[in-house]
Amino acid sequence: MNSYQICTNCIMDTTDNNITFNERGVCDHCNDFYDFVKPNWHTDIKGREELEKIIDKIKKAGKNKEFDSILGLSGGVDSSYMLHLAVKEFGLRPLVFHVDGGWNSELAVHNINVLIDKLGLDLYTEVINWEEMKDFQLAFFKSGVPHLDIPQDHAFIATLYYFAEKHKIKYILNGGNISTECVQYPLHWFYYGTDMKHINDIRKKFSTNKMETYPFSSVFRHKIYLKYLKGVQVVKPLNHMPYIKSKALKFLETEYNWKPYPQKHFESRFTKFYEGYWLPERFGYDTRRVQLSSLILTGQMTREEALNIVSKPAYNPDTINDEFNYIATKLGITSEELLKYFNMPKKYYWDYKNQQNIFKIGAKVLHLLGVEKVKKREK
Amino acid sequence: MITIIDYGLGNIRAFVNVYDRLNIKTKVAKNIKDLEGVNKIILPGVGHFDYAMQSLENSGMKERINDLVLNEKTPVIGICVGMQMMSNRSDEGKLSGLGWIDGEVKLFDESKINYKTKLPHMGWNDIEPVKDNKLLDGLNTNSRFYFLHSYYFRCNDKSNIIAETIYGEKFASAVYKDNIYGIQFHPEKSHSAGIRLLKNFAEL
Amino acid sequence: MLRPRIIPCLLIHNKGLVKTVQFKEPKYVGDPINAVKIFNEKEVDELIVVDIDATAKRIEPDYHLIEKMAIECRMPFCYGGGIKTVEQAKRIFGLGVEKIAISSIAVENPSLITKIAEKVGNQSVVVVMDVKKKGLFNKYEIFINNGLKNTGIDPIAFAVKAQKLGAGEIVINNIDNDGLMKGFDETLIKKIREVTNIPLTVMGGAGNLDDVGSIIRQHGIIGVSAGSLFVFKGKFRAVLINYPTLEEKEMLLEKYF
Repeated sequence: MNSYQICTNCIMDTTDNNITFNERGVCDHCNDFYDFVKPNWHTDIKGREELEKIIDKIKKAGKNKEFDSILGLSGGVDSSYMLHLAVKEFGLRPLVFHVDGGWNSELAVHNINVLIDKLGLDLYTEVINWEEMKDFQLAFFKSGVPHLDIPQDHAFIATLYYFAEKHKIKYILNGGNISTECVQYPLHWFYYGTDMKHINDIRKKFSTNKMETYPFSSVFRHKIYLKYLKGVQVVKPLNHMPYIKSKALKFLETEYNWKPYPQKHFESRFTKFYEGYWLPERFGYDTRRVQLSSLILTGQMTREEALNIVSKPAYNPDTINDEFNYIATKLGITSEELLKYFNMPKKYYWDYKNQQNIFKIGAKVLHLLGVEKVKKREK
Repeated sequence: MITIIDYGLGNIRAFVNVYDRLNIKTKVAKNIKDLEGVNKIILPGVGHFDYAMQSLENSGMKERINDLVLNEKTPVIGICVGMQMMSNRSDEGKLSGLGWIDGEVKLFDESKINYKTKLPHMGWNDIEPVKDNKLLDGLNTNSRFYFLHSYYFRCNDKSNIIAETIYGEKFASAVYKDNIYGIQFHPEKSHSAGIRLLKNFAEL
Repeated sequence: MLRPRIIPCLLIHNKGLVKTVQFKEPKYVGDPINAVKIFNEKEVDELIVVDIDATAKRIEPDYHLIEKMAIECRMPFCYGGGIKTVEQAKRIFGLGVEKIAISSIAVENPSLITKIAEKVGNQSVVVVMDVKKKGLFNKYEIFINNGLKNTGIDPIAFAVKAQKLGAGEIVINNIDNDGLMKGFDETLIKKIREVTNIPLTVMGGAGNLDDVGSIIRQHGIIGVSAGSLFVFKGKFRAVLINYPTLEEKEMLLEKYF
C-alpha cells in the first residue's frame, strides 16, 4: 500500500498510479518536461519561423481549394483563440466544424456564435444521434471505469478525420498546446479514446443500441492510414508562440464578447459534471491537478495558488444536486440509478479487453522514429 | 417552510422547480392538514376570479389561510389572480374577495390600449418600483416580467402600491401591506428577475 | 412597455428534435432537453414545442418528455401534439406547462376548444392553423395531421370561429414558407390579424432578424415564432442554437417597434 506523496515542484500526486519521484521529490511529469519538452519548445523567433514555414505549406497545399485547413471548434478557449489566429493572423481558410454530442452548455453555444459571426465564417456541425450517444455513455457508466468521456471524445476525433478526408484537407489545426497542457493525464484516468477493442468490449457488455449513425474511427485509421498514407498532418500553432492563457482569455472577451468558463473543458455540461464531480469524488482523480501543474511548469501559476485552488471542491456545492439530477434525467435514468453507478466497485481499462500494448508499441515506434515528441499518450 | 397553496389553479410545479434549483425547501398544501408548520404562503392563481374564489372555498383551506395571514401575520404572496383575490371584489365576478388589501379589481380600459389585441395584457413588460421593498431587492428599474391578465388591482390606499406597470395606463403591478404581498405578473415564468423575486420572498 | 414576443419553436419526431422544410424531410437536430435548457439559459420570451408524430400516429403525448422539458423552462412553455381530450390537456398542465396547442383536433372537433378553455381558462388554449396555398387560385387552406390532409377550410373563417369558441391565442403556421428561411407570408398574416383580436403568433419562413422585425413593424404587439432561424447557422445550415441577446433584442425593437 503506497503512501501519499505530492510533487514538490508541481501538484501532481500519487492519485497518478504511475508517478515517480526523484530524490528531491520532483515528479517524472516535471522532469520529462524539463528534459524532453522544454528544450524542443520554441516560442521565440525560432518558433515563429517554424510556424511561418508551416503556414506557407498550408496555404500552398490549399490553393484553389475551398478550405486549406480544418479546425474543430468546441467553444473552449484554446480552439477559440486558435480560430482567431488562424483567420486573423495567419490568413488561413479553415473549415470550421463543431460536434454536438447533446451536452452543449449555453456558454459554448454563445461563444461559437460570436466567433463565427464576427469572423464571418461558415460552420459545419455534426449532430450525434442523441439516443445512440445516450446509450453509449450509459454503457460506460455501467462498466464502472473512469474514462466516461470517450463517447464524446471519440466522436470528435472521428468527425475531424471524416471532414478532413471528405474535403481533402491535409492540415488539421489543433489548439493543443504545451503551455497549458504539458503535463499529461495519467492513462488510467483517461484511457485511449480510439481503442476499438476496448470500446467494443464495453459496448458488447453494456450497450443496447445498435449505434448505426455514430461515427466510429479506429486509431489505425487516424494515426496511420490518414497520416502516413494520405498525408494528413496535425499542426499545433499555439506551441510556436508565447501562449499565455489569461491573456488569450482577456483578448477573446474584449474582441469577441466571448465568455469564460469556470474551468477547463466546461463547454460541455457532461464534462463539467464528469471532471468537476464524478472523477474526483468517485475516483479521487482531480483533473485540475494536471491542468494547473502545466501552468506551474510554464510559469503561469505558482504552486501555492494551485494548491489553494485544489483545496476547494471542483464542483459547486450549491448546484451539484441539480446537476446530478439533470445528468440522470438526460441519460433517461433515475438519480438513484446514477448513484448506484457512482457507488459501484471501481473498474479500470485493464478490467476489459484492450489493445494498450499495441498503442504502447505504436507510440514507442513513432517516438523512436523521431516522429512524435511526447512520451506518454496524447489527449 | 414555504407552502404553495394548491387549490386547483396555477402552475404549482413551476414554483417548486424554481425553489428546488435554489435549494430552498417548499411544501404543497392541498388541504387544511397540509397547512401545519407553514411559515410563508404562496397563493398562485389563473383564470376566472369567481372560479378561483370558489375553488379556494372548496379546498377547505380558506378559513385557516385567512387566520394565518390576518391573525398570525404569516407572510403571503398572491400571484396574478392570487393577488386579485386579495381585494374586496372584482369586476370579473360576483363573489367577494379575501379583503386583505383594500381595493377593487377592474377591467382594463380598452380605449386606452392602442394594439389590435387589447386584452389580455400578455407578454413581457417592465415593472417600475415606486417604493423600496425587500421583495423587489436587486430588481432595477425596468426589470421585465411575464404578464397574462385582463383585470388589474386598483388600490384604494395608494401607499399599498410598491410597483407600477404601464399598459394603456399605469396600474399597480405589485402591492404590499404588513405581511401581505401581491404581484400581478408571473415570477415563476420570468427568468432571472422572477427567480430573484422568489428568492427575496423566501429570505424575508 | 409591453413588447412583442419572439418565440423559438421546436419540433419533436422519434424523440429527437428535427427541422423540416415545407413540413417534409425532417432533419435531425439533436436532443430536445438540452435544446430547451439552452433556450432557457438564453432567456427566450416563450417556447413552443410540437410533437409532430403524436397526432399523425394517433399516439399519446410523451408525458415523461414533456415533464422533463417543462422543468427546464423559466418562461412560458406551450406544448402541442396529440392532444385530443380535456383530460390529456389537464394532465399536461399538471406537468408545469402554461399553454397547450391544438391543431388537427381543433378542426375535427371545434367544441374541444371551448371545453378545454372552460376547464383551464381561455389564455391557456392555443389554436394552431397549418396553412398552405392550394389549387388554381392559390387559396389558403388549413391542413391537418402534420400537413398531410387538406381540410379545404379557409383559415380566415376558422380563425374567427376559433376566437368565438374561446381560444386564447391563434398561431398561424405557414407550410409553404416553412424551413425556407426566405421570409414570412405577410399577406396571410394581415388577413388573419384583421379578423381577430385575441393574441396572434406567426410562424413559417423567418430567415433573419429583419424578417422578424418586419412583422413587428407591421403589427406591433404580436408573437413571432421561428424554428430554423434559431436552430441553424450559416449557409451550411449547421446546427447551432442561437437567439438574440437582450441587447440585440432591444436594438431590434428600437428599429422596428
